[in-house]
Amino acid sequence: MGLGVYICTDCGIGESLNIEALQKIGGKMGNCKTHPFLCSKEGVDLIKSDINSEGVNKIVIAACSQRVNTDNFDFDPLLYVTERVNLREHVVWMQPPNDPKTQAMAEDYLNMGVVRASKSEPPVPKTTDVTRVVLVIGGGVTGLTAALEVEKAGYKAVVVEKSAALGGWAKKSYKTYPSRAPYDKLVAPSIDAKVQAVSGSKNITVHLDSAITSVEGEPGMYDVEIDKKGAKETFKAGAVILATGWKPYDANNLVQYGYGRFKNVITNVQMEDLASKGKITRPSDGKTAQSVLFVQCAGQRDENHVPYCSSVCCNVSLKQAKYVREANPDAGAFIIYKDMRATGVYENFYKAMQNDEGIFLAKGEVKGIEEEADASLIVIVDNQLLGKEMRIRADVVVLATGMISSMLPEGKAVNSLTKEYIGDMVVKKTQDGEIEELMPIPHILNLKYRQGPEIPHLKYGFPDSHFVCFPYETRRTGIYAAGAVRQPMDSYQSSVDASGAALKAIQCIELTSQGKAVHPRAGDMSFPEFRLESCTQCRRCTVECPFGVLDEDEKGTPREHPYRCRRCGTCMGACPQRIISFSNYSVDMVSQMLKSMEVPSEGDEPFIIALICENDAYPALDMAGLNRVHLNPNYRFISLRCLGGTNLVWISDALSKGVDGVILMGCKYGDDYQCHFVKGSQVASERLGKVQETLGRLMLESERVTQIQLAINEWDTLPKIMEEFSEKLKGFGPNPYKGF
Amino acid sequence: MGDGTVFTPDIGFVRSLKNSGADTMKQCYQCATCSTVCELTPSDNPFPRKEMIMAQWGLKDELVADPDIWLCHNCNDCSKYCPRGARPGDVLSVLRKAVIAENAFPRFMGTIVGNTKLLLVALMIPVVLFLCVLNASGHLNIPDGEVVFRKFFPIQLVDSIFVSTAMAVVFVFAISVGKFWRKLNVNPYKLMAHSMLLPSLLETLKEIVLHKKFQKCGANLDRTWTHRLVLFGFIGLFITTNWAVFNLYVLKWDSPYVKDDPNILMILGSQAAVMLYYAAFKIFGNVSALVLFIGSLMLFSNRMKDKGVNSVSSSFDWIFATIVFLVCITGLASEMLRFANIAQLAYPVYFVHLVFVFYIIAYLPYSKLAHMVYRTTAIVYAKMANRDVM
Repeated sequence: MGLGVYICTDCGIGESLNIEALQKIGGKMGNCKTHPFLCSKEGVDLIKSDINSEGVNKIVIAACSQRVNTDNFDFDPLLYVTERVNLREHVVWMQPPNDPKTQAMAEDYLNMGVVRASKSEPPVPKTTDVTRVVLVIGGGVTGLTAALEVEKAGYKAVVVEKSAALGGWAKKSYKTYPSRAPYDKLVAPSIDAKVQAVSGSKNITVHLDSAITSVEGEPGMYDVEIDKKGAKETFKAGAVILATGWKPYDANNLVQYGYGRFKNVITNVQMEDLASKGKITRPSDGKTAQSVLFVQCAGQRDENHVPYCSSVCCNVSLKQAKYVREANPDAGAFIIYKDMRATGVYENFYKAMQNDEGIFLAKGEVKGIEEEADASLIVIVDNQLLGKEMRIRADVVVLATGMISSMLPEGKAVNSLTKEYIGDMVVKKTQDGEIEELMPIPHILNLKYRQGPEIPHLKYGFPDSHFVCFPYETRRTGIYAAGAVRQPMDSYQSSVDASGAALKAIQCIELTSQGKAVHPRAGDMSFPEFRLESCTQCRRCTVECPFGVLDEDEKGTPREHPYRCRRCGTCMGACPQRIISFSNYSVDMVSQMLKSMEVPSEGDEPFIIALICENDAYPALDMAGLNRVHLNPNYRFISLRCLGGTNLVWISDALSKGVDGVILMGCKYGDDYQCHFVKGSQVASERLGKVQETLGRLMLESERVTQIQLAINEWDTLPKIMEEFSEKLKGFGPNPYKGF
Repeated sequence: MGDGTVFTPDIGFVRSLKNSGADTMKQCYQCATCSTVCELTPSDNPFPRKEMIMAQWGLKDELVADPDIWLCHNCNDCSKYCPRGARPGDVLSVLRKAVIAENAFPRFMGTIVGNTKLLLVALMIPVVLFLCVLNASGHLNIPDGEVVFRKFFPIQLVDSIFVSTAMAVVFVFAISVGKFWRKLNVNPYKLMAHSMLLPSLLETLKEIVLHKKFQKCGANLDRTWTHRLVLFGFIGLFITTNWAVFNLYVLKWDSPYVKDDPNILMILGSQAAVMLYYAAFKIFGNVSALVLFIGSLMLFSNRMKDKGVNSVSSSFDWIFATIVFLVCITGLASEMLRFANIAQLAYPVYFVHLVFVFYIIAYLPYSKLAHMVYRTTAIVYAKMANRDVM
């Protein structure tokens, strides 16, 4: 058993630093070697030979960033601890060569790396049996595609559909708009083929007229209970795809457009019905329509109704305008829009429809609709392209109402939902008085999780996930949202989405069986360990875990569901008793790292610890190094899995050691959050609010501790941020604990 | 339309515009690049952006009342920069044609001349007319002896046909322009347009002679010269014709001109003066014809050069260019054949020449050439309404 420290002298490290001094530090703990080109085959062989002949099992590589050369420095994580010390990007590429401050920095990082490795042990694998079945909720285009993809990959799927037939909204469409060239013809929906394929498959079980009554357990091993026409059925599933789709906004709210008052005002959903009959007729008297007017964004992009754009209605109205034209070559179709949004390849479809002589498009606003004696409609349009108000006669007016996520229970308005979980605020009487509390409403999943029966939403009832980086992930590991339930989209996009979610679900089942984490620490085999004998049942870990890993027993002691865990360490940061740790990541480890560095006992320049997120801030620093940006040399960076793992004890450890200030560099939080663990940087900021107490006890200014939000591409702002914080600390004078 | 008129789609009008050359107009997505690059458009409510949506929506009433389409001199900068290939320049050109047809009097003449499928009908009218006149006056044959055109088609007959036609044209134009003016003179410009008629007209004519607007069109300056040659060629021939009328009816000097006609000698004073007068007249006429001929050749070459990149000439345009070209060819050929004294060819070619001349004069209010009156009117109006940028 031994620690091996390997210092690479390439890429400017050898020329800029006193390698002998570094070697002394490495040598203190055991074996320390240098190599002029460590990531070469010879360099890696040097490490391998030490592993084989010297019994080295903890490898400290003092060279480049942990984000590069991972394929070269790839040692079995179940047998060896590999620790990277970034002397290149974070030291020699940022600092002047052969400078005492540069050297001090390198030595501190090496010391910390050695401590980190010493305090780490390879994880004990926690493999498990899993059920290789994917539960697909929803039998529309998304659900059917997901089930078929799951089957194609060699797994089994169970489709639960609440209605009596498969096909969903796609089945109710007369035709669909084209997604490939030529874009000028409408095409028949392809949903029937999918319905047949699913119905005929041995590997896909379909439950019609069914609803989920309970989902219990964790990835790889969910217990699912459904209500099938009043009868209970249970089965096991390894992962869940939420593909419950969308529902139309209730047009009865759109009184300004005469819906419900005038017979010939219909919604775009009703228009599909009408068109299915082959010709477009007036609902009032069945006469052929000569003129049909489409009102785009009817109630959409409107804070009072649907605040967002459903992104598909422009294409749908263009398609339905074509229905009008195909049914009657002398009929006119008007589309009054706020903005025509035919995204991506659909620009071609828009162009083709625009070219139709009977389709009249204009940016404008519908000011009002009047009904004439014969039930014809006069639509008053402020035509902004023609710069005038027009009165357009229409036989039928079609409202492009938007898409609402099916996550919304009946009676809930999309613009006035409770935060995080959809529910009702109820007043509860407790011994401390009346408390207003959120009662989440069970609706689709009926999860038996402490955190609530459904998955959290970010806004407007769409499941919380990162729309760019990891769209299918929800905040419940193993449950993947796809299709219009998570974002308005059309059937083509939903199919693509379904494939992605199906692969994610399979990946989750397989990683779970190997005891590995899913995104974003995919493959991580460490698990949080709880010393429950010291637990005080404060419930902070159960509340702060962004993924609902922890339930509680009656006393409030956390009950773990390890396979729901994504290894961010937020629980570890939350725990005031410090009972939570990983084999290779712990509160004590960072405390010891802080102790290992040399805090200058005097000098004018404040000495600062920066706790940085490994997902955004760390690569941002790498970028700064790559661009040879000079940063203040009095900072020491400690990378964390997520700022959510920040334990306040580290701050008091640092300050009592004479460090002048602590800065947390994490991802953006709030509505446009960039945190890979959704809430990590936000809970860190909430925790910092409580640091006041600690600082007060130490008689220090609260501004000595701060948090900034840094995106990966904002590396160029680092010099300014760091300089400003340093200047502010100068104003407070040196930390009085210096030298103690 | 803001006045409470109810709008119903006029798909027929949209279709007719598309069929007569504005087939690209529906591709416009209103970015207004065209209005931005145009040198001639006013900054307030500029064209051709708004004309494009008016055309897409088939707003016929607004379009025929729009002076702006005539401020355009078809340089096609807009078409060149259009990101959608909607060719606003061509669309305006088709709209101008639609306005000519809309204001035509009598209406059916507009249809006959405007519809390219009826080209033969339009050409057969003078053919039949001339044949009837020749037949009735006993001239439907090739005269013997030296080629003298009046032996075949007596000058008095020619004059009576053409002078009365010309007078009819003036009358028709008066009616059409009256209609046109009434359509133009509505709000929003009505309030702005008051008096200033004469100064505006003088300014307009000056601009036309100097080709000021044309020169602002950067994209195809070549066309400035083409237009100059065609315009001045026509003006030269117009003067020549009147000069001939003057010779015949005032000086009583019959063609073919006898240089020692005592009557003329007496009026002009000396033999040298007669020769000088004769030479001046002949040179002026022939130079005018040559100028028009070169201009008409350039009309073709310009259209060929473009190859439809910026602009696709409509058949309406092509017919006009061809007729101008044929008038020149047949006129010059008649003259050559007369000198060569080839009667069998000279008289038929002269006949064809007269047919084309008739086409140009009689159909002036309905053909592409009508723009000289409509455009002048619209520019005068635009100046009065402070809408012209110059």
